[in-house]
Amino acid sequence: MAREPAVLRIFVILVALAAGAILLLPPPASAQEEVASAIRRYKEKEASTGYYEEYEVRPRRQRPFVEIPGVQVGLFPYSPSAAEVRVRTRLADSHMGIAFYTDKTCVACHPQEAKDIHTVRANLTCRQCHGGEPIASIQYFNSPMNPIRKHAYVCAKCHEGSSASFASYIIHEPAPGSMAALKSFPLLYIVYWFMTVLLVGTLAFFIPHSFLTGVRELFTRKKEAKNDADTTH
Amino acid sequence: MTPTPRIKRFSVIERLFHLSLMITFLLQTATGFSRLYITTAWGKKINAVFGGYDNSLLIHKWVGVVMMVGFVIHTVYLFTRINWRTPVKSVFGEDSLVPNIADLKHFGQRILWFFGLGSRPRFSRWTYWEKFDYWAVYWGLPLLAITGVMLMYPMVTSRFLPGWSLNIAALLHRAEAILAVTYIFIVHFFIGHLRPSSFPMNEAMFSGSVPLEEANEEKPAWVESLQNSGRLKMVSAAAPVLWYRVVYFVFGYAVLLFGVYLLINGIMYARQVGLH
Ligand code: HEC
Ligand code: HEC
Ligand code: HEC
Repeated sequence: MAREPAVLRIFVILVALAAGAILLLPPPASAQEEVASAIRRYKEKEASTGYYEEYEVRPRRQRPFVEIPGVQVGLFPYSPSAAEVRVRTRLADSHMGIAFYTDKTCVACHPQEAKDIHTVRANLTCRQCHGGEPIASIQYFNSPMNPIRKHAYVCAKCHEGSSASFASYIIHEPAPGSMAALKSFPLLYIVYWFMTVLLVGTLAFFIPHSFLTGVRELFTRKKEAKNDADTTH
Repeated sequence: MTPTPRIKRFSVIERLFHLSLMITFLLQTATGFSRLYITTAWGKKINAVFGGYDNSLLIHKWVGVVMMVGFVIHTVYLFTRINWRTPVKSVFGEDSLVPNIADLKHFGQRILWFFGLGSRPRFSRWTYWEKFDYWAVYWGLPLLAITGVMLMYPMVTSRFLPGWSLNIAALLHRAEAILAVTYIFIVHFFIGHLRPSSFPMNEAMFSGSVPLEEANEEKPAWVESLQNSGRLKMVSAAAPVLWYRVVYFVFGYAVLLFGVYLLINGIMYARQVGLH
């Protein structure tokens, strides 16, 4: 073991370097910075006028929605809700003509939409994103929620520097294990079931395994007193 | 009182790795749960311990960074453990944590032994479940690290990946965390400390050594190969001093109880989280 001290010394140096690397990391973001690219930061003008570079405004890689129910396009299709036919998704007032609309809370009619992180954890109200009356449908041309401007008009209110790509985060994500998810966000569905099977499989294997070990050892211990352990059956 | 002969099992560095993993893992569980369960009465309570919702996230992030650094250091350390003169033998050999065919054989023998149909498998230095323990953490940590960094810098992430990858990252982070927590707090604790042959505590990871007699019983092939290669003398170790034993008993059980407390409450309050 003559090489032990040398290895140890190298190891200590590497530890010191790695610890030093912490200092180089940017602090965890408590608020996101508004940044156009790695080297070019937004100036006050852009921030105050709302003028953004052209490439920021158009969803690029993203197709905002799975448009045709039952027809998957692309490798990783995703859409905000199950791809049913959305009758009212192009209206200026999504609730035009809906009876009793004024007497009810949003959640009474849209229970599924109240289960996202923003509503449950961050305590946002629906209107902080969807705005006042009339609530425009998602795909209405002038809707702030329209995917071509959602990032700037909605998300950027709170998430500085939000890009079109960022805004393709699915706010009202479907329950990840549901058939709705399989239809509208297959990758989420697959990941969910993969992890669930892994969890259940691991526990289903190791809990009985541990339990049997415990039981068997109890018996071994008893016999051991009389005889040697290795030959007990 | 003659001291019982003991052999060395974990070096100081390895024990430090384990200790820092214990502490950071517990902190991550507590801060992570305090956010996951924020909608429940219990979640609010542990949240208050860490100074609120935002603060517990801040702690979670920094501890995460420390864990990532630890992971890198550990990986570097792994490479220093390989005997570079005979790399293949040392990576796939008996002393290594890399799974091999013998593990499958041992597993089969172990099942038979459970029901008294065969004799105990002759384990070498690491049993197959110890290897599983190790590799479960070894792939879980990077997974949590990658998804964690994605969520930590969502704007940067969405420049390289589409924004919906954050949905996936959040789900993976949560699922893997739950997997790790249930595995550690149920299986690892039981196999490590609570089963009859190691109760009240398996001290190897704290004292660094095991009594020769115990090793001979649990891992006969290991002791045999040490004997054959003449290394048995070299790895003999002194017994841990009493005050140190008291410290790690108290510490170990505090961690165990706290972990089980988190897990039980986590299961009890799971219905009330309110997320999909
Ligand atoms: C009386 C029940 C009712 C209430 C209350 C209600 N909605 Fe709706 N909402 C509907 C119906 C029905 C539709 C059309 C269903 C569809 O297209 O899936 C709709 C559609 C929408 C859409 C457009 C969906 C799309 O496909 O583009 C949005 C956005 C919306 N609601 C938000 C809200 C918000 C925010 C509130 C609370 C201020 C609210 N709703 C309250 C019944 C209601
Ligand atoms: C963080 C902002 C935000 C909040 C808060 C929010 N929404 Fe939405 N909502 C969106 C966005 C963005 C969409 C467009 C689809 C998407 O990307 O998820 C949407 C879509 C919808 C739709 C269309 C159907 C669907 O599932 O896509 C309905 C209905 C809706 N929201 C209702 C609500 C209700 C009710 C609440 C309050 C409980 C609420 N929203 C809170 C951002 C928000
Ligand atoms: C009114 C303020 C507000 C608006 C508008 C808003 N968010 Fe958020 N968002 C928050 C807050 C607060 C959190 C932190 C929630 C938490 O950590 O519990 C958050 C968290 C997030 C996260 C991290 C979620 C996670 O799992 O950690 C993502 C991604 C996100 N928002 C995307 C969006 C997108 C996309 C939009 C636009 C459609 C949007 N947000 C609009 C306030 C807002």
